[in-house]
Amino acid sequence: MSRADRIAFVCPRFNDEGTVGGAENLLKELALRAALNGRDVHFLTTCAVNHFTWANEKPAGIREVGGMTVHEFEVDEDRDLEQFIDIQGRMSQGGDVSVDEEQTWLDNNVNSRTLVNHLRESSYDRVVVGPYLFGLTWQVQQVLPEKTYLVPCLHDEPFAWLRVMKRLFEQVRGFLFNSEPERRLTQRLFDISTARTAVVGLGLESPDADPSAFSRDHGLQTPYVVYAGRREPLKGTPMLTDYVDVFRRRTGRDVKLVFTGSGEIEAPTSLYPHIIDLGFVSDQKKAEAMAGATAFIHPSVNESLSIVLLEAWLTGTPCLVTAFSDVMRYQCEQSGGGLWFRSYPEFEEQLTLLLDRPELRLELGRSGRAFVEREYNWSVVARKLFHALDEPFDVSSNS
Amino acid sequence: MMNDSLFQIGAEGIDTARVVGEIQKSVEEKIRDGIYPDPEIARAERHNLKNLQTQDAFMDYYMNCLRQAAYIDINAFEIRERRSFFAPALIALKKVIWKLLVFYTYRLWSQQNQVNGLLVAAVDGMDRKNVRKIQELEARVAALEAAKDANRS
Repeated sequence: MSRADRIAFVCPRFNDEGTVGGAENLLKELALRAALNGRDVHFLTTCAVNHFTWANEKPAGIREVGGMTVHEFEVDEDRDLEQFIDIQGRMSQGGDVSVDEEQTWLDNNVNSRTLVNHLRESSYDRVVVGPYLFGLTWQVQQVLPEKTYLVPCLHDEPFAWLRVMKRLFEQVRGFLFNSEPERRLTQRLFDISTARTAVVGLGLESPDADPSAFSRDHGLQTPYVVYAGRREPLKGTPMLTDYVDVFRRRTGRDVKLVFTGSGEIEAPTSLYPHIIDLGFVSDQKKAEAMAGATAFIHPSVNESLSIVLLEAWLTGTPCLVTAFSDVMRYQCEQSGGGLWFRSYPEFEEQLTLLLDRPELRLELGRSGRAFVEREYNWSVVARKLFHALDEPFDVSSNS
Repeated sequence: MMNDSLFQIGAEGIDTARVVGEIQKSVEEKIRDGIYPDPEIARAERHNLKNLQTQDAFMDYYMNCLRQAAYIDINAFEIRERRSFFAPALIALKKVIWKLLVFYTYRLWSQQNQVNGLLVAAVDGMDRKNVRKIQELEARVAALEAAKDANRS
């Protein structure tokens, strides 16, 4: 295989203004970096914005973004939503689902025949597609498996255990992972040799954030902790609000909880007056909120990279994460920038420690920042990405 | 108590695994000393139970918290309003509603308290029974293995 000059990046949604999730942002950033490197990059996506409805909200067409060509295709509208929801509901609860039903779930998932046809009729050197759990990803893998690189963004969740996923993971040429624990999880679930994998991740740039700006702008005299991202049970935010509420009551410390991101905040009534909900904010405002926080807290178990964790470290803020997330715990251990808790009592001890020991807080933040600057700077990430794409993995080396 | 030298900052930064390990030890000691059993903690852990199921020691502690949490406080509480606009009027309205409803809800809640208590007692009983059964089985396995070793020699 030759150098990857013409590359297609495929993702069901395109991150226009930071309004979609981490996986979309990751694919877009990798594509932009490839375009910046002088490659002919095409980003193939759908007209959908909402990942619940998958309605075609944007017009189909082609546009230029940051030196790459973005192709937006319509989502197939003939999907059987009722069947999809029924099977997905049973899957998420770990219920019994046959292989045929798994296939029906994929067929009625988000798909785009026009996108797949475009791929079939074009000549790309490489196709980089993700995340793993969409019908579109499965369809794309079928068109050019020998040129396809999967960015799985894999979590240990019921969908990862589907039998149809075995074919997806075993047929693609290679994998671009976000972290070492994600690679380990994939190899635990599927028969994949290390030779077909690379841990690439995402590059980040240090923000110029004043740690006192957020408190000044909001007239805050008390310490606060911050969470950024979607607020939903799968991300652990109801647990976070419960923990902070109990922490305030048990310790008598006036600690505020700051949220950025989208979704309803489920919290005990007594905590509402102490929540500052910023909603969607600019990267600068988010960085300022993080920079002044006592800690960035991430209670989510299912993460494959957790970009917000890295962003918090770049602002010099230490992190408290759930010990049940292999990825975040690994990142905290590697960086020396955060602590991990299994239960409320450990959380209480750790937050108290950070409030009482500013020198410890500063040192954890410093270590975290040094780690991100070392491991997640664009020159390191781009080198890993182009090495993986230009010197393709040997598929014969499987297992 | 945690060792202060743990937080010494060296050239390599802080050994976070050691800090976390020390915190875990300290928490275990405090749990044994009865510092943590608290109904509020039992409620705070409701979203974390799936993860905690593998932690035997924690489940014992959680049962303790649950025993404390089973009987909820059904007495009057301070009525608040987080919307500052019309707050006094809204609080007054809520107080009136509370007074009208309390006659009916008090009976309902006290019955709920009885059910909670019975459920915790049942779970507790099952837990003790299972622990006893496992201990008996372990003792039997140990005795059988000892007898087998004795026969062999």
